Amino acid sequence: MITFKLNGRDVSIDVPEDTPLLWALRDDLDLTGTKFGCGVGQCGACTVLVGGRATRSCITPMSSIEGADITTIEGLDPQGQHPVQEAWKDIQVPQCGYCQSGQIMQAVSLLKDYPDPTDEEIDGVMGGSLCRCMTYVRIRKAIKKAAAALRAQTSGKETSHG
Amino acid sequence: MGKLERIAARQDRSAGLGPTRRGFLLTAAGSAFLFGFARSAKAAPVFPQAAADLPEAGAFEPTLWCSIAPDGWVNINIIRAEMGQHIGTALARIIADEMEADWDKVRITYVDTDPKWGLMVTGGSWSVWMTWDQFRQAGAAARTVMVAEGAKLLGVAPAACVARNGHVIAGQRSIAYGDIVSRAHPTRSFTPEEMAKLPLKPASERRLIGKQVRALDIPAKTDGTAVYGIDAKLEGMVYARPKLPPTRYGAKVVSVDETEAKKVKGYIRHIVLEDPSGTVPGWVAVLASSYPAAIRATDALKVTWEAGPTAHVSEHDIIEHGRAQIANKEGGSCVFNDDGVDEAFAHAEKVVEHTYTCSSVLHYQLEPLNALARLHEGKWEVHCGNQWQSLFLPVIAKALGVPETDVVMRSYMLGGGFGRRLNGDYAVPAALISKALGGKPVKLIFTRSDDVQYDSIRSPSIQTVRAAMTKDGAFQGWQHHAAAGWPTRVMAAAFMEKGADGKPYDQFAIAGADHWYTVGPMRVRALDNDLADATFRPGWLRSVSSGWTPWAHESFLDEVAHDIGKDPVSLRLSLLISKGRNAGSAPDSVGGASRQAAVLKRLAEKCGYGRTDLPADTGIGIATTFGQERGMPTWTAGAARVRVDRRTGVVTCEKIWLVLDAGTVIDPDGATAQTEGGALWGLSMALFEGTEIENGNVRDRNLDTYTPLRIADVPDMDIEFLPSTEKPMGLGEPGVTTIAPAIGNAIFNAVGVRLRHLPIRPADVLAGLNKAG
Amino acid sequence: MGVGVGVIKRFLAGAAAVGTVAGLGFLYYTWYPALPSVAPPAAGTFTPEQIERGRIVAAEGYCAECHTRTDGTPGPELAGDYRMETPFGAIHSSNITPDVATGIGSWSEAAFKRAMRLGVSREGEHLIPAFPYDHFTKMTDQDLSDLYAFLMTRPAVHLEPRPNELPFPLSLRIMQAGWKLMFFSPGEYKPDPSHDALWNRGAYLAEGNAHCGACHTPRNFMGAEKKSAQYDGAVVDNWIAPPLNEHNPTPTTWTEEELFQYLRFGVAPLHGPAGGPMSPVPHRFLSTVPEEDVRAIAHYYADIDHAAERSKHDPAALALAMEQSRAGLIGPNPDPDAKLYQGACAACHYNAAPAPVLGRPELALNNALWLDEPTNLFQVMLHGLSAEEGQSGVAMPSFYNALSDADMARIAAYLRRTRTTLPPWTDLEKKAAAVRSTVQSVPVNSSH
Repeated sequence: MITFKLNGRDVSIDVPEDTPLLWALRDDLDLTGTKFGCGVGQCGACTVLVGGRATRSCITPMSSIEGADITTIEGLDPQGQHPVQEAWKDIQVPQCGYCQSGQIMQAVSLLKDYPDPTDEEIDGVMGGSLCRCMTYVRIRKAIKKAAAALRAQTSGKETSHG
Repeated sequence: MGKLERIAARQDRSAGLGPTRRGFLLTAAGSAFLFGFARSAKAAPVFPQAAADLPEAGAFEPTLWCSIAPDGWVNINIIRAEMGQHIGTALARIIADEMEADWDKVRITYVDTDPKWGLMVTGGSWSVWMTWDQFRQAGAAARTVMVAEGAKLLGVAPAACVARNGHVIAGQRSIAYGDIVSRAHPTRSFTPEEMAKLPLKPASERRLIGKQVRALDIPAKTDGTAVYGIDAKLEGMVYARPKLPPTRYGAKVVSVDETEAKKVKGYIRHIVLEDPSGTVPGWVAVLASSYPAAIRATDALKVTWEAGPTAHVSEHDIIEHGRAQIANKEGGSCVFNDDGVDEAFAHAEKVVEHTYTCSSVLHYQLEPLNALARLHEGKWEVHCGNQWQSLFLPVIAKALGVPETDVVMRSYMLGGGFGRRLNGDYAVPAALISKALGGKPVKLIFTRSDDVQYDSIRSPSIQTVRAAMTKDGAFQGWQHHAAAGWPTRVMAAAFMEKGADGKPYDQFAIAGADHWYTVGPMRVRALDNDLADATFRPGWLRSVSSGWTPWAHESFLDEVAHDIGKDPVSLRLSLLISKGRNAGSAPDSVGGASRQAAVLKRLAEKCGYGRTDLPADTGIGIATTFGQERGMPTWTAGAARVRVDRRTGVVTCEKIWLVLDAGTVIDPDGATAQTEGGALWGLSMALFEGTEIENGNVRDRNLDTYTPLRIADVPDMDIEFLPSTEKPMGLGEPGVTTIAPAIGNAIFNAVGVRLRHLPIRPADVLAGLNKAG
Repeated sequence: MGVGVGVIKRFLAGAAAVGTVAGLGFLYYTWYPALPSVAPPAAGTFTPEQIERGRIVAAEGYCAECHTRTDGTPGPELAGDYRMETPFGAIHSSNITPDVATGIGSWSEAAFKRAMRLGVSREGEHLIPAFPYDHFTKMTDQDLSDLYAFLMTRPAVHLEPRPNELPFPLSLRIMQAGWKLMFFSPGEYKPDPSHDALWNRGAYLAEGNAHCGACHTPRNFMGAEKKSAQYDGAVVDNWIAPPLNEHNPTPTTWTEEELFQYLRFGVAPLHGPAGGPMSPVPHRFLSTVPEEDVRAIAHYYADIDHAAERSKHDPAALALAMEQSRAGLIGPNPDPDAKLYQGACAACHYNAAPAPVLGRPELALNNALWLDEPTNLFQVMLHGLSAEEGQSGVAMPSFYNALSDADMARIAAYLRRTRTTLPPWTDLEKKAAAVRSTVQSVPVNSSH
């Protein structure tokens, strides 16, 4: 039995410890927004947040996430309106969409580390997320748009608290 | 009638539908598919309010394609696969615009297979082009009825009314479409003949086409609710993984030892597939209660095969086989075989000849192949994303040994198509496994390396281009010979075109070579590399042959231009003359070669072609094509600026310019998106990705060694569409076509090295630099 | 895996050698009497304060790490039976709960202290020096009393460890005596008056109870710590315990703050997270003890590695590392090795100036790239780090199935080439295979 937090809820599931987190999410927990792409941690389609950091779930065994706090695309925002998701819609990023859950999770993580990312920082962090439709131009644009929205949100909060 | 329309008619006939499709009212709608199927309650349907019970009670359905419900919602049926091109949005917009629907009350339904839909295929950038007339007519039919019935309800003459934004308006008064349906209960329907006579709106009256509209499929692709084939789930299903034989064809299972597999918890059994359709010879399936267990058990299962005859074939063997085919004057089929071509070469003052090769390319569509199959209420259901249901439904039926009417394919989102899912081979084993289990639901998933191993790759190719020329550089004749695997022969032989010599050929293994330049009598010869066909299952890959034939002739034209001391742009412009075969014809190629010349001129202006102030080892190259195929030309011109590192041989593409004339652009943002994606595919195949056949299989099986373009590799891009009100052409693929030759030509302009193999690797550049000294 | 597994291999080699050298005469000097068996202390013998002090002493000595079974069904804490595989056969640690029959329930405080100080059991047998009494001998009487209080108030667990599988003559306890004679100098830690109290506290803990040298000091051919190469680093459990002195090769210094963060929270801002056998040290133990003690250890090692003087080069080294971190990742790059690194690693390991982000371990500064061998790099690639290791709550996936030996070799060579100034590693593919062969639990392969 492995216990962890998933999208804000406590979850215990009985799967073998060597099961990749990806399959537990998709098949046992019915969260199919996280996708199977390469299976070798090199396309990013399976990216989820573990402890707030983007993590390739296809090669992360369940034994590794005991006690961890996991967020999937479904749990990013209750209405699917996280600033990154909003930017993705505004810029009309997705084509086939298959990689985009992973791209979004990776972008959320990027913006935590680099709230005002340069093109270089976007290259450096997003280089692990493959988009076979090649929506890269829009991913870059949307990240910058989301960054601006998140910064506005943060400064708004600071104002209201301060 | 366009090529695809001919194909459609042919398929309709074969489906017993006759040349005229049913245009009358259909009330049965059991085939509409609800996304969100078998998911937990929180999963939202993918599209606005998509429902299983369409059309709603009392809905008005003037044609097969759309209906208006009493609540005013317009439903539009989409028979095309959604794989990133937002095709549902684009097609729905055509109907909605013509019928003057309220876009906020439009929803789309991706339908399952049913003979009534006619040809279900999504590829070749055909969808908009094929649907344009049909959907405008369908919209006109709906609008006509709304205006007629609305006028009655308003008590005025139809001529006094206009339709606008889901309402019929007469002066100050108006009535909504939904109210018209609920009050007047219209039932009128239209035959295709009647529809063809309906007046269509002029381009100036279009309110949705060409305007910015948000794609309906995008929101679900940002919150994890979009449902792809791999997400389909059914109560009681088991998981399966294929155990693949050593060769794609001809392998036979000698023995199976499941001792180790049995030790895997969750392992159920293995099945040696018996396939009457011949699609998956020698395949074994491994079943388990979970997919990870299926993975493990497949690894543990020991199968001994007798390999097929291609177990030792290499890429080199295939290319050399093609080279020999080209050297042989016999064989193949000629797309063009103009009178006088042999004479031209016999008497030429000068013959220029060069040979170009391209490596194998993987689709690597991000969603690995998968299919879910079961027998349900007497019908075999196959759930999967697929691009050519009409082609594979009969194959599945044959594999199962049942009539086609007993098979239905349910539609899902595709996690990338790029042509891979035109080949539905992956659906066959799922159906066979379910059959072996008495119809129990089974979900077959390929691991990534399973998927890649028997990807339907873009065949390696070899091409020779020859020009007969005068001393002063005038073209007197042209030959283009191309040898590659032929996907259409292997998978859809009935769809092959007939050449000038009456012999069938694969249009998707030569299109692009049949260009619009006036270069004297031409012979364009397509050769089926049968060694390629025997070794792997050649596939259609984004832009099909137009992804590689321009590599030959557009590189060649630059070579000739430099050779005779002419500017490559002026040389091309001098050859793009709207005369004879190249004059063009309505409705698809109005204007002919002059439109290709127009995009090229505009491109040359924009990119500053020929400027002399570029930094050292930097060059701009251009190329031009007619996009996808001669019968559906998207006039395309592309330029690339590259920098070559003389120390490492690394070529960096710094900027790409594209100018296109695709006729009317339905969805400007989508058009740009498709072209951006296409151009980057072109760049990826030019500089970043490619594999080779080794021992009968592709060498690279995953991203550790297969290295497609990633975000950091993206150059600046400047994409422009020339304004046009001509019939819309395709846009999925033209973006790809010019990039590789533009880069090759740019490298030559930068450092004087001519490359004739794709992909361009630093080692090749270094070798060229060393040779040049 | 525990901190002690690798230590034993060296001891046993030494013990065998000594066994053949030593004559009968030395038996006289190495004979200890059995001490009387006593009844376990009654409830209320120890004050809660003393027990709490003992808990801290136990944590600072990582007792539970080597005295709790981890293979098969995990055992009760401190009940022993921790299996250590050695080339000579497996040994199993003793039960140190107060169970009379199978643990130390009948041990008097004196017997306990003798064991800690001299490596002799209550019965008078020599203990195998996998039990690092050469460090524990430095502990104060007070600490030993407190530790005794803590252990004797743990739940008694009846668990007989599996018998050791040592061949004759290694199986004879007396064989350990020779080793002791040659390499063991008993005696409590003597404060160094030239240093302040913090330094002395750190030295006392590090040299004594925390027994850092057991892993981080190389051993001679007989398995004893080489005094001449103290803290030069050593191989433990197929990992490299890196040098803790000025020979530590990373370009920025292990400063007191780096060491403190690492020992307290499992991750140093510049040098990255604790992995492998080191991981439990912060997470299971040092995060539970008084902060001043951890600070003291950090202070001590910052002096040992001459941080004060070496760290003046840190700003330049950091700037260089930040430059190296982006190598191959910015702008187009068709180099297949860069592409592999980009796809598999960079999303988490890329950093931009001015400094690494917490949670983005910077490989250009990490021990793993700068050691003489790629062992640790390969270990981390193959195992990943669970949420309980390294940085708490954050996991690194296991690339066991994702990277072939050739892929691992390519990444190692690429990183060494682009992110260090050191000569290339050799035989990388072979070494990758060798480390791979030590992985015990293999995850499901989604890819192939």
